Amino acid sequence: MSLNDTLKNLRANGIDEAKRAERLQELNDLRVNLLGKKGPITKALRGMKDVPAEERPEIGTLANNVKNDIQAAIEEKMTELNQKLVAKKLEEETIDVTLPATKQTQGTKHILNQTIEDIEQFFIGLGYEVASGYEVEEDHYNFERLNIPKDHPARDMQDTFYLSDELLMRTQTSAQEGRDMEAHDFSKGPLKMISPGVVYRRDDDDATHSHQFHQIEGLVVDKNISMADLKGTLDALCRHVFGADREIRFRPSYFPFTEPSVEVDVSCFNCGGEGCRICKYTGWIEVLGAGLTHPNVLTMSGIDPNEYSAMAFGLGPERFAMLKYGINDIRDFYLNDVRFLEQFKGVN
Amino acid sequence: MKISVNWLKEYIPVNHTVEEMANKISLTGIESGPVKLGEELTNLVVGHITSVVPHPDSDHLKVCQVDVGESEDIQIVCGAPNVAVGQYVIVALHGAQLPGGVKIKRGKLRGQESNGMICGLDEVGVPTQYMPKEFENGIYVFDEPQTPGDAVYDLLGLKDQMIDIDITPNRADTLGMRGAAWEIGATYNEKPTFTKPELAADKVKDMSDVTVDVAEKKLVPDYLLRELKDVTVGKSPLWMQRRLWNQNIRPVNSIIDAANYVMIEYGQPIQTFDLDKLAAQNLTVKFANDGDKLKLADGEKDLTHNDLVIVAGDQILGLAGVQNSIEATVDENTKNVLVEAGVFDGASVRKTAQRHDLRGDASNRFEKGVDNGIVDEALTRVAQLIDQTTTVKEISNVITGNFTKAEPTIIKGSASHINRLMGLDLATDEIVAILDRLGFNVDVNGDALTVTIPTRRWDMEIEADLVEEVNRIYGYENLPNTLPAGMETRGGYDPKRELANKLRDILLGEGMDEVINFSLLSKQEVEDFNIDNSEFTKLLHPMTEDHEYLRNSLIPGLVRNVAYNQARKNDDLKIFEHARVFQRVTGQDRPSEITYLSGAISGNVVTDSWNTTAQPVDFYYVKGIVEELLAFTNADAEFTFVATSEYENMHPGQTAKILANGQVIGLIGKLHPNYQTAHNVKDTFVFELNVDMLFDLNAKSVKAQTAPKYPSISRDLAILVAKNIENGQIVADIFANGGKYLKDVNIFDVYEGKNIKPNHKSLGYHLEFQNPNDTLTDDEVEKAFSLVKDSLAQKFNVEIR
Ligand SMILES: [Zn+2]
Repeated sequence: MSLNDTLKNLRANGIDEAKRAERLQELNDLRVNLLGKKGPITKALRGMKDVPAEERPEIGTLANNVKNDIQAAIEEKMTELNQKLVAKKLEEETIDVTLPATKQTQGTKHILNQTIEDIEQFFIGLGYEVASGYEVEEDHYNFERLNIPKDHPARDMQDTFYLSDELLMRTQTSAQEGRDMEAHDFSKGPLKMISPGVVYRRDDDDATHSHQFHQIEGLVVDKNISMADLKGTLDALCRHVFGADREIRFRPSYFPFTEPSVEVDVSCFNCGGEGCRICKYTGWIEVLGAGLTHPNVLTMSGIDPNEYSAMAFGLGPERFAMLKYGINDIRDFYLNDVRFLEQFKGVN
Repeated sequence: MKISVNWLKEYIPVNHTVEEMANKISLTGIESGPVKLGEELTNLVVGHITSVVPHPDSDHLKVCQVDVGESEDIQIVCGAPNVAVGQYVIVALHGAQLPGGVKIKRGKLRGQESNGMICGLDEVGVPTQYMPKEFENGIYVFDEPQTPGDAVYDLLGLKDQMIDIDITPNRADTLGMRGAAWEIGATYNEKPTFTKPELAADKVKDMSDVTVDVAEKKLVPDYLLRELKDVTVGKSPLWMQRRLWNQNIRPVNSIIDAANYVMIEYGQPIQTFDLDKLAAQNLTVKFANDGDKLKLADGEKDLTHNDLVIVAGDQILGLAGVQNSIEATVDENTKNVLVEAGVFDGASVRKTAQRHDLRGDASNRFEKGVDNGIVDEALTRVAQLIDQTTTVKEISNVITGNFTKAEPTIIKGSASHINRLMGLDLATDEIVAILDRLGFNVDVNGDALTVTIPTRRWDMEIEADLVEEVNRIYGYENLPNTLPAGMETRGGYDPKRELANKLRDILLGEGMDEVINFSLLSKQEVEDFNIDNSEFTKLLHPMTEDHEYLRNSLIPGLVRNVAYNQARKNDDLKIFEHARVFQRVTGQDRPSEITYLSGAISGNVVTDSWNTTAQPVDFYYVKGIVEELLAFTNADAEFTFVATSEYENMHPGQTAKILANGQVIGLIGKLHPNYQTAHNVKDTFVFELNVDMLFDLNAKSVKAQTAPKYPSISRDLAILVAKNIENGQIVADIFANGGKYLKDVNIFDVYEGKNIKPNHKSLGYHLEFQNPNDTLTDDEVEKAFSLVKDSLAQKFNVEIR
């Protein structure tokens, strides 16, 4: 057999063997065996000395081509086998994505605090400071400074837990008003504050009453504070809390520490005003009380009611949360059943 | 109070439905609701009984022939004991609807045809307690002849429409029809008209059998009487009776009814006495003596020296402004009547009424105030009504115990200030017009307004009251929405709240749910965790033993939450609370309010699942959370955990005080097993941190450092040491001797038991050395490491393994 034929045979056999290989190792062996320094091609080329000189370049070229072709065949097969291996590995690694997750739990903020903080953030955005005040308060700040002297019938409306003749568990966060007005330096601008916190009343606990509950008091003292300012502020608040389409209305009311005094209703977020069970078929839901601070209250805090006016409002986070989330029993807030608490994950 | 629309029409025109009016009044003045009585009633007519014969087959039933305005009488079987021939009665015809869904059908009663029902007042909707007593156990019988077949509704007020007003305490001026007419009239721009009561001049005599002395003139600014002589007490007319029972007042007789009627009309409570039953002729209004008794129909009340009474000699006629005794009640035999119109101090009346549980129509009005300007007129009105409905021979002039001339209130204000407070720009004329609708007279002098307030609006005192009146009548719905336009202010939380918010976020991130508990605890609960040995703070008048003391720790509340949840199979719990506790120094009334952040973890922190194994909470899990909290305080402080066994309800071997720079700021540990058992909770770990103290620590000043460029070198150290030596001591010693390049010490192994000698433990530490400015050499590290080992061997007698 001529050297030419030998080389061609080697090529045919080599390519054929590469194609038939099933494992990467076979291909590695094939490469070493065929193309290595001790391989048949190298060996065959030793016969070059017997080839006439003018044919040698041609044979040389052929030998290179044979090597390249075999190399290519091996590589092609290697790629093919590698792909198969990867595919197999991927198949083996396939999981059931419907199996449950490994738990990564975040805690849930109490729904009352979520409600309070939502309202706090609203007012902070309007430049209000948040000041929480004392829970044990003097009769003086809780009542007298709010224009509720000792014999005032309004003291019947809020039966009080007293600690002594002069100390009590505050019945309203409005108790903070006097302290804030006293402390404020009006040369530095208006007083704008909200005072969230716990208040206490001598009530029997039932579905709608709790001896402890929360309030948020708001107070703005400046020159030229008006009922329209109060209405605009509370309108914006109610839209923030209950939805952009809400409206509010004022109804005359009575509180000893405001004059005028109003109850504030928000248009029903459930029926949009058509009338439903939640709004008792009126289209409106009472949500808070408000008014312009009574001149006596300003005077007692050393503020001249002819120069300054003030608006105040008080709202109940329990009521807000009960309305917004359809909670029917106020006691649920204080039982802290985690199944109750955790349903409010991320609502605010 | 319910404002009858028919009655209202006597004073102002009414052109709106009761629903519209209630809604409008709610928005401009007083919360109101519409009332429509007897809407369901049908087929109720006047019947005239023409014959009554006994039912042949019944002892008590009677067979009546009744003229109901049709061509022939109809037969009705009736069981009422008071049915009789000639009576004009209420007949429910076949098909009639009665209250409560009752429908009348013709039928047979024991074989006798019955074509309807003869009704009692209660059967057509008048509550039993408000109908005349004589008809309580039978059918209603008209006093006067009526036209058979006529509907009975208007005669008896059965379908009256009313506006039920729910007043705030300042608007008691509307607790009378006339005041209500002013208020509703202002809403609709209609001024009410009233007729002034006048007495027949020939009957009025200057006479008085009684003398009257008001001892407490300050508390009784007005006390007026009239005597009515030779009266014939009878029934009051039907128009008066029906108005009374629709006001939830039972008609009694022509004298008492007139008094009650005037109370509704004027809002001025009126009392009447039988002049001949007075034990003495000298009346006094004074404080009772302790031990005095007020005789009532259903028993006696023991009076005190704080109760204002009206006495005739020693005879107690009544509690002033609250209730009369039965000593001198006017009845059908009364011949001479004494009528009283007084004004009594609200606070005094309120306390007396509360003390004796006798709150009623009169005390309710005096508590909130009455119009001092119409006492005289109301008294005259009663006399006039009695004269119109009863035979009266003589009426005395007013006998005055005390009289205070009521002066109108003058309020000065300015149109510009009123506008500024409303946020409106109304013309002065418009403001004046609104005040005029309320019956207020206004003098205008440029911007200045001088407003004269009639005595019926005693709630009006200052300019702010004018602002309210103008604004509400103008309509709050017409107010624009504006925001305060003053100087910009910076809003935000105070720094302590900022810190608390940050710490709460860490705990939420650790998967802990936030809870809110009550601040008032039981005695047992404040004793359980009185960690700081503070005085307890107790309520003067607690409602229940569960809520008697101010809490001194958040742990009892958290434990209650754990128990509540675990009783409902919520076994794995991670909860925290941020709230105040109250601590009191002996001798001080006022407790200090200290903010705490506390947590409780119970059950598993990793649950059993297809890919995880349950891991119960332990001390070190909770300690990890607390350390992360402390790191985030950014406090420049050294925090340490010191084992303690001094807390009674904590596990003595698994509890530590938490210290900041040597000062106790909290605790961490496991609840005592006995306490857990007593409270039905599974193994529970708690921590409690004083946020106020954390807040007071100085903040770290963080200076940035580049990440280390040079490699670190580590050494492992295994030692055998006595069991009672704490890791904290070892680590502290390693740091003390490890030189300036010792960067970190981590414990990687704690072992005791098999292959370890008794009362010893084996500990493994990983020490890491690093020079931030150069590459460390093995030599340097080896030198430091030797010093560490030598010191441990010397100080703690450790065996280096
Ligand atoms: Zn609705």
